[in-house]
Amino acid sequence: MITGTARIEELQARRPRMAAFDAAPVSLPGVEILQAMFEMPGSARECIVPAGLHPTNPAALVLQAWRCPESPWGAFSLVQARAQTRSGVRARGFVTGAACDNAAAASALASGFGYPALAAEIRWQRSYDSVRLEVGRSGEMILAFEGADPDPLAASDVQFSGTLNLADTPRGWRLVQVDPEFVPSRAERLHPKLSAFAPAAWGDPRLDPYYPVSASITLAHVTLPALRFVCRPEELAFTGTERV
Amino acid sequence: MKFGIFFELSVPRPFSTTLERQVYENALEQARLADELGFHWVWAVEHHFLEEYSHCSAPELVLTAVAMQTKRIRIGHGAVVCVPEMNHPIRVAERAATLDLLSGGRLELGTARSSTWTELGGFQVNPDDTKKTWDEFVRALPVLWKREPVRWEGRCFSMPERNILPKCVQDPHPPLWVTVTSPGTELDAAERGIGCLGVSAASYHEQERRTREYHRRIQSCNPVSSVVNDQVATLNFLYCHEDRKTAAELGMRFVGTFSVANSHLLWTREAFPTRAYQSLANLAPSASSMATNPSEGVALPEGLCIGDPKHCIDTIQRWESMGVTGVNFLLNGMEVLPQSAVLDSMRLFAKEVLPLFTKREAPARASVGVAQ
Repeated sequence: MITGTARIEELQARRPRMAAFDAAPVSLPGVEILQAMFEMPGSARECIVPAGLHPTNPAALVLQAWRCPESPWGAFSLVQARAQTRSGVRARGFVTGAACDNAAAASALASGFGYPALAAEIRWQRSYDSVRLEVGRSGEMILAFEGADPDPLAASDVQFSGTLNLADTPRGWRLVQVDPEFVPSRAERLHPKLSAFAPAAWGDPRLDPYYPVSASITLAHVTLPALRFVCRPEELAFTGTERV
Repeated sequence: MKFGIFFELSVPRPFSTTLERQVYENALEQARLADELGFHWVWAVEHHFLEEYSHCSAPELVLTAVAMQTKRIRIGHGAVVCVPEMNHPIRVAERAATLDLLSGGRLELGTARSSTWTELGGFQVNPDDTKKTWDEFVRALPVLWKREPVRWEGRCFSMPERNILPKCVQDPHPPLWVTVTSPGTELDAAERGIGCLGVSAASYHEQERRTREYHRRIQSCNPVSSVVNDQVATLNFLYCHEDRKTAAELGMRFVGTFSVANSHLLWTREAFPTRAYQSLANLAPSASSMATNPSEGVALPEGLCIGDPKHCIDTIQRWESMGVTGVNFLLNGMEVLPQSAVLDSMRLFAKEVLPLFTKREAPARASVGVAQ
């Protein structure tokens, strides 16, 4: 069984502080979800996730972007970079970094759900045969992605995983399990192309999404439910899970 | 009812050549014992790149060794991945015929299309295409084996006229199977007149439904060959011990370890959205929408042969009652059980359970019916 080797001290930078686990559920209607998976080299497999998680073989980085037209904080976009892992036997994304273009949303997602959402400029461009996503911060382009040639799928053909967000919580450093509920109504597969990616801006300079696997864009109703579980980051989920 | 043993050849970390060799040696010893004890099949999977879970990438070589060390047990090449990037169909036909020849007509050929992105991605296979290529393989193989000379013009491969050699010992050819993971594949099997080689865990209710539908549909199949293989074999775990508590304790440790390893595979559906893979397969991890407690393990399937002989008898009778005609057993996983415990379990099963269910067939005869 492969497990992560990153020490918590290595992962603490730019992680949010959560004062409580009492965030109310959030309903997000009409969310466009752009998701892309890339393989990473084996050298970036165990070292980027904590010991409580099992990276996949091969190591995979998932970029997931939400374009939310409505929310309690107004319209916003959230882009997450996640190392694909297993927590116990469950598929989960370990969020290495995130970007958000709405300060109120970023703050709420950080303090309520543990997303390490930093301010960024996020630009979407949808044309007939492609979807472009660009993320900039402090004048630097930290992500430029294009998904081309949309191919319709059944809405249920796209698989989404929940996330584990490392945060400083009242119980200490914990992996906060966020299980968004996705109700998709439309899905298309895309050909992924990543033309810019600044790994340090997404949480770890060793992130190397060198091999494109797949991409999709889905229209869905997303609900962020109340938190139920957190995990001690350096202990396997079988024993390190706590109910909140 | 027939019984088989099923090799994944899982190897725990830390890897070493010594340990890998030991896993292989243990498997060969289990195959020899299974042959002596009257088990019907020994199967070996084909997997690639699946660290720990399965180091069985060249099953035709493993099974050649098995064939050379056994006399009666049937040799289950289960299953060959039927995508041309991994196995050219001519080479599959040649290797299978050679193994049938060397084993004295004991080969059974399973077909599959692979379920993990780890494997498909490694060979740069488009997951959208695997069902199509599998279909062409199962239609081509009986032709490649029997017609001489043969030519083929298909979607995934074509060849000008050649004579494929050697020829199979079994007439017309080894029984064909398909591994059944995704719901619905049992219908593909039935429509083509080939056997159902279960490799995933299904509940009693689900297996009964699938088996009933398979037996119903195969009555009106359009077979890919002149013979129909109408068998349904399921996959199970075996740890048989006189003391039920000991059996449960040791057996469930092995089941649990194997199941966790299975859940850690990167399944195709998780990596590549496609209509061609409708389930995550096997004991794969749940989607996040199920919002499950991460401290909980995989929900274990019903009907495991982990227990004392009476429990195993009762369990197999239940499977038999729903039309299952064979059960293949995983005997160990990650070498959790000592080899001596595995061999003792096999002996006890063969002494107390197997005779109640089996009638051994002549070794060189294919277990098939003739197509109408």
